[in-house]
Amino acid sequence: MLEGVRQAQWLTKTKLVEGLPPSVLGIIDNPAHRLEEHEERVKQAVSHARLWDTREPAPRREHYCPVLFEDLIHICRLMSMKYPSLTKRMLSRNYKIAATWERESILLQVRGLNGILMNSMAPIPPVASKEEILATEAHVLETFYPISPTIDLQEVNVYKELNNTGFRDGYPYSHPHTLFFLESANVRTNRFRPEQLRAKMLMFAFGNALAKAKVLYGNDPKVLEQPIVVQSVGTDGQLFQFMVFQLNTTDLVSSDGIKNLVWVDSDQNLYEKAQCVPEVKKRVVTKPTGIYGFQPDTFKKFLALYLHGTV
Amino acid sequence: MAAPGGRRLLWTGRRWLSQAEPAVSPQPPDSFYPPIVASATAKSKAAKRRRLEHFKQRVHAAPSIEEKLRLYGLLQRPKYVVYPQTFALNADRWYRSFTKTVFVPGLPPRTASAAAKAPAATEVTAEAGTAPQPGAEAPAPARTAAAAAAAGAAPYLDVRELRALACDALLQESFYQHKRRPVLYRSQEHTPGPFLTQLVSSLAASLCGRNPLLAASSLDLKPEVNYYWHHGEEVVVHGHRKGRVDPVRFQIDDNPYLQIRVPKQLPEVVPLESDLGDVPVIDHKPSKLPLFKRQYENKVFIGSKVADPCCYGHTQFHLIPDKLKRERLVKANLEDQIEVVYRANGIASLFAWTAAQAMYQGFWSEADVTRPFVSQAVVTDGKYFAFFCYQLNTLALTVETIQNNPRKNICWGTESKPLYDVVEDGSVKGFNDEVLLQLVRFLLNRPKDL
Repeated sequence: MLEGVRQAQWLTKTKLVEGLPPSVLGIIDNPAHRLEEHEERVKQAVSHARLWDTREPAPRREHYCPVLFEDLIHICRLMSMKYPSLTKRMLSRNYKIAATWERESILLQVRGLNGILMNSMAPIPPVASKEEILATEAHVLETFYPISPTIDLQEVNVYKELNNTGFRDGYPYSHPHTLFFLESANVRTNRFRPEQLRAKMLMFAFGNALAKAKVLYGNDPKVLEQPIVVQSVGTDGQLFQFMVFQLNTTDLVSSDGIKNLVWVDSDQNLYEKAQCVPEVKKRVVTKPTGIYGFQPDTFKKFLALYLHGTV
Repeated sequence: MAAPGGRRLLWTGRRWLSQAEPAVSPQPPDSFYPPIVASATAKSKAAKRRRLEHFKQRVHAAPSIEEKLRLYGLLQRPKYVVYPQTFALNADRWYRSFTKTVFVPGLPPRTASAAAKAPAATEVTAEAGTAPQPGAEAPAPARTAAAAAAAGAAPYLDVRELRALACDALLQESFYQHKRRPVLYRSQEHTPGPFLTQLVSSLAASLCGRNPLLAASSLDLKPEVNYYWHHGEEVVVHGHRKGRVDPVRFQIDDNPYLQIRVPKQLPEVVPLESDLGDVPVIDHKPSKLPLFKRQYENKVFIGSKVADPCCYGHTQFHLIPDKLKRERLVKANLEDQIEVVYRANGIASLFAWTAAQAMYQGFWSEADVTRPFVSQAVVTDGKYFAFFCYQLNTLALTVETIQNNPRKNICWGTESKPLYDVVEDGSVKGFNDEVLLQLVRFLLNRPKDL
């Protein structure tokens, strides 16, 4: 996507808000959750993924990015000791999403394998208040003339306008909670840049929310009484992007009216550098092996997004 | 050539070092001559013994575990590669003889040991109390009964919840999620693999309240476990070393599907010197199994490096590949080999894992373990589950060390039992609670003091 998040915003009729929403920030600031206890475990998880997991001295990104993600999710899952309702979550990998919508006479669709989805039995309550939703009516979507909003999108002949959440009816964990994107290609050019990663996260979060909305409320375009909230986290093993998306309306043909909302917290480093081999200058070890510049706030946000909706 | 007896020859001829010598030389004052020992470089048995001694001293004196492992696997020679998941007939007997393991059918009685420890603990607390009471005997059994009842009551409350978790995981992977058709000969990656990941991760999360060891554990997906050892002797058949007597070298390179590593060791099941059966003796060469030789790096690895604090193993989960499915073995008229596949996998993988854990603590074949290393494994093909528990009592399997070593490693194992009968129309038919409870008991295993 050339224009990144701006283009994704236009395509999904969304208003951007910087920073995480107050409900998530409330979980982070709440001292009752005691998020500081996990700092040691997170440091161990980072060291495990970046330093200790393979026999080679420095594991490659294809290896350490999924391992880091699995370790962080393992730590988050262990919180179900304190909050039993967290057991009502299920991860699913390799699932396919399909969502179609029209945007000013352009038919758009989101299809295919996207990332790892965490489903939950209970939906996340709406994050923005009614006033904020009504205030988006006044917001004007950014256009970037002369670039067309559909630049870099693949043109495909569609024979069936599909809307499919990826799961059959009757699935108990029917509400998409969080989408995880791992940019784990070894070569830098195969990975998405942070701006493009955020755009991808927005598009797929929107696709999941739209598919769910069409299942719940039918195919007619309308303003939703109960907005649907889908979160997403994207990482390349070091940098984290957090996003909370709220679908307020499925009426996407015109550019006026109520818009959807997205809160973005971008480029959060979990650690500055992982020294796999000690740096030696003139036969003296200047930098021993280890993780440098660890920032616990990033994991607190990760955990807060995980706990959002049940706490 | 990196030989085990490779020594650097000392330079003692230079004149101008003689001034430094009186301060450096550690010779005792009563002997004017250096000690008379066998040569280090001659082609003689005494020289070979001396080189071997020197190698053993080098490994004993290694400053760190990484250095010890590096020296242990320094010399590369052709070795038999042992595959835990193998189609070889009666492979479990062969693997038991390679690893000096006794197989005991059924799982070790854990409740008996827990009940035996409970009165001991209460007696200790009663004695350590303010005053020894003559009536201490009467309250102790009552306390143990109450403790056992409380411990027994708490897990049994939410069997339904655990069953719901397991059924949900199974249904999601096999019914609710839209998936493509399984790739040819890779149906294990399609449903049983994701189901196992889902099941273990959600069970571990829900049980971590009862088992603080799980709360500090580390879950690995598709880790690598390696171990290299010597066992027995053979004569080199061909090549420039023909005719020499060499130890038989083995290497296991295993890839369990899931692994839980913990920072504290699991308690021993039986004492270190127990003898629960016989180790099979096989007179044939290992290549008759069939087992093939290759020469590459001698690896010892538990799944993460020595610096990781979670250096002990808890449970491994193995997925039987498509090639060794039950239906294939039945079609080839090998029904009795179905259980052999599970047993061989359990024995070989657990031996490699426990032995590598012992090496990470500094033990090796010349420095035998002083405490038993216990780990568990679950081998499954998605529907049938077999449970194994392994206790490593000895690492001394080389020709010299095995002679006076009465210890044997012990492996307890069950037969494979189905977790469910069939999944149809969004419900699981014939769910077997016992298998699930056994899995839960495995996950709840922890040291006594936790």
